[in-house]
Amino acid sequence: MEYLYGIIIIVGLYVILATSFNLIIGYGGLFSIAHPVFFALGAYASALLARELDVPMPLAMLAGALVAVVASVALALPSLRVSGDYLLIASIGFQLGMLEVIKNLRFTGGPGGLTNIPPFLIREFGRESYVLLVLFLAVAVTLLVRWIARSDYGRAMSAMRDDELAFASLGRDAMRMKIVIFGLGSGLAGLAGALYAHYFRFIAPEQFEILQSAAILTMVVVGGLRTTWGPVVGALLLQALPQMLTFLNLPPSVLGPIQGMLFTGLVLVFMFFRPQGLLPAEDVWHGREGLGGTRRN
Amino acid sequence: MTANVLEVRELNKSFDGIVVAREINLTLQSGRVVGLIGPNGAGKTSLFNLITGVVKPDSGTVLLEGAPLDRLAFPQRVRRGLSRTWQHIRLFPSLSVLDNLLIGTHDYPGERLLNVLFRHAHLAEHDKAARERASDLLARMGLGHVAGALVADLPYGQQKLVGVARALMGKAKCLLLDEPMAGVEGQSYAAMQRIVREVADRGVAVCVVEHNVAFIRDLCDEGVFMFAGAIMARGTVADLTRDPQLTELYFGH
Amino acid sequence: MLDATIILQILWSSLAISCYYVLFAVAFALVLKVTRLFNFAQAAIMTIAFYTAFVAVQWLEWPAWVAFLLMMAASLAASYVLERLGFEALRRRGVSVMFVFVFTFMVSEFVAYVAMLVFGTWPQTIFPAMFWPVTLVGNIAVSAWDLPAIGVTIAALAALSAFMRFTGAGQFMVAVADNPALAELYGINKRQTFLLAMMIAGALVGLGMFLYGTRAQVLPQTGISLMLFAVAATIIGGIGSLAGAAVAAVILGIIQNASVLVISSEWQGFLLYVFLFAAIVLFPKGLRLPRRRFGTASHRVTRGTAAPAAESKAA
Repeated sequence: MEYLYGIIIIVGLYVILATSFNLIIGYGGLFSIAHPVFFALGAYASALLARELDVPMPLAMLAGALVAVVASVALALPSLRVSGDYLLIASIGFQLGMLEVIKNLRFTGGPGGLTNIPPFLIREFGRESYVLLVLFLAVAVTLLVRWIARSDYGRAMSAMRDDELAFASLGRDAMRMKIVIFGLGSGLAGLAGALYAHYFRFIAPEQFEILQSAAILTMVVVGGLRTTWGPVVGALLLQALPQMLTFLNLPPSVLGPIQGMLFTGLVLVFMFFRPQGLLPAEDVWHGREGLGGTRRN
Repeated sequence: MTANVLEVRELNKSFDGIVVAREINLTLQSGRVVGLIGPNGAGKTSLFNLITGVVKPDSGTVLLEGAPLDRLAFPQRVRRGLSRTWQHIRLFPSLSVLDNLLIGTHDYPGERLLNVLFRHAHLAEHDKAARERASDLLARMGLGHVAGALVADLPYGQQKLVGVARALMGKAKCLLLDEPMAGVEGQSYAAMQRIVREVADRGVAVCVVEHNVAFIRDLCDEGVFMFAGAIMARGTVADLTRDPQLTELYFGH
Repeated sequence: MLDATIILQILWSSLAISCYYVLFAVAFALVLKVTRLFNFAQAAIMTIAFYTAFVAVQWLEWPAWVAFLLMMAASLAASYVLERLGFEALRRRGVSVMFVFVFTFMVSEFVAYVAMLVFGTWPQTIFPAMFWPVTLVGNIAVSAWDLPAIGVTIAALAALSAFMRFTGAGQFMVAVADNPALAELYGINKRQTFLLAMMIAGALVGLGMFLYGTRAQVLPQTGISLMLFAVAATIIGGIGSLAGAAVAAVILGIIQNASVLVISSEWQGFLLYVFLFAAIVLFPKGLRLPRRRFGTASHRVTRGTAAPAAESKAA
């Protein structure tokens, strides 16, 4: 049972990660690969606050998410000032550099990882409660991003993606919008990280490597950019595949690379042959019926 | 009553040694339509880019109602009341005509993320008012029936009208139109003429870059002739078009 | 204590080591200049080149010159495949520049994982022993690797420079870099020119990887770090300038190597990311203003921002 709970929680967390990444890359049109770092920052910040400073866990988790928001804004501000290309390059550097920092610092546990992270809910209410919490948050995040995409804000995001200069010529600040999207998406990743830390109670830098960047990117690209259910389907599918691989009882030195090949290979195949993903998005923005919904005749 | 709305003082700009603006001084007054004439490459669109802050000038000042805009970025200048359209229209293809116009309101409370999450009743009112304003504007342009269509499905002339309508959704004090007539014919032509006049009559200062001499003559109170990044002459459109030297400059290159 | 000998010694070794950094940076900058792509797949070419030589020498026990030729061939072949099957198809589809970035980065990662699967995660070198005899010049130790490496690098750069200046194909490359639309109007075959740029970059990468693999240890992920170094050098050198990238690579190489004097060695690798950020935050347009107009700068910015330039030219 514990094994199954673990899988459900992992899938739930990846739904949050893929959906929030979809907000950034799909709706925001912002290319970054650093999503796992914000996942890591949330996990480390929350774990350290709870373990070292005895901060109450819900508070520590929120703080973890906040750390991810702050870090993401610090990354996006200088690079977006120049151009979107630079965000991608900066994000690669940030991803690898941040892991290097975590590995070299002492209080993060270094390459060996951080152990003995205090558990949340599990002791008091059992593992089921945590499963419910994660599932609830996964659904909430999915609906939140859907809600945003179909709101007036979503209409503005659509316009910004279409033509940034025209967007600016109507008095809109595209830069601010991008930073908000990036911050929000990264904050959600930080929250997922905090949830991860207080259930599995062990985090190590190797869990947040580029392999994870590829995995999250694959989930969104394979599922379908700019759709509600694409990232969810992607997360389910791409967590199921590696799970099946583990049944083959391969040694870790073989399993890791094979998973990596699977994720990166799938991204390449989909980018080439089905860039719209399994669930293609429409090119036209749709609002909520009755609210934003000026539908096509 | 005509007041100076926009003042451009000694604007200079060059790209890699190519001068696109040389000591430009220009005043636009409330209620008047000024036509910017000149051959291709004279720096007319560049002047719009410099005024709106899309491109930063090497030196010079732009004042809107007496207040300097130089430190403001493009969107902030637009919010102050400096509106512009684009030669290549630049509508949002993924949005309907009406939604294109709704983006045109500088501030849409419903678009703030917090308001998205916690909707207040007054947002619906604002939303309704904005929609009414947009529908009204479209109706005046004879586009009421295409409000729900995607912009790509409209004929070119109607797209140009939507571009102007979108720029008018905000509270423009000064309107810069970049070739509003290129490729526009028939009913759209008449509608464009009518709308530009209406806007000016409401007290907006209008500046039009246009190659269509008939349009300039019919509509503009005044003409400004640009050549090689500099203003060569300012006067009535009739005078400018009669001047043999300017005609030589216009057609000689 | 720091005395002149130590400083000179460090300067000399850093200068020698920066050979391969220069080659990687120039290769990256060349592809960016001509095709306007941040070719993150350069890391994949590095990895393929290195392990080709590794297999030839360590598994098959072939002589060094065969291994060298093989690794150059592998590097060129990988570049050819990447351009013809990858970039050309994506260009035809008219995908966004960002799409290509992500694509190239994933290619590099994919190749790294394949290498990990086949060769494991141990550091490897092309030759079993990496001992290079040392001669003392004054008080400075000069290894037998240093001078040939510097010589070969200078020769390669001189050949590239002469090629771009004096041959028709080289001139075409410069023309395409400056203005692809105009170049096409004059009948320059863009497709061939892009391929040529990729192949030249492939050759530089192959050579650079040979130098690297005879001097330092390589992991499947090493290519990506080396490439990021090239990216930082390209940005700092001023995008579009090959000489700028080369000079920036030497300077960064010296800084990184000399940093052992002030910071502990485990943070030395981290310096690379500091470079990358410094490049983006402090020198987004490069250290010096380019003398010549280059189209890359205006093209590189996103669709939205590139347009005013286009519109202003149309006016």
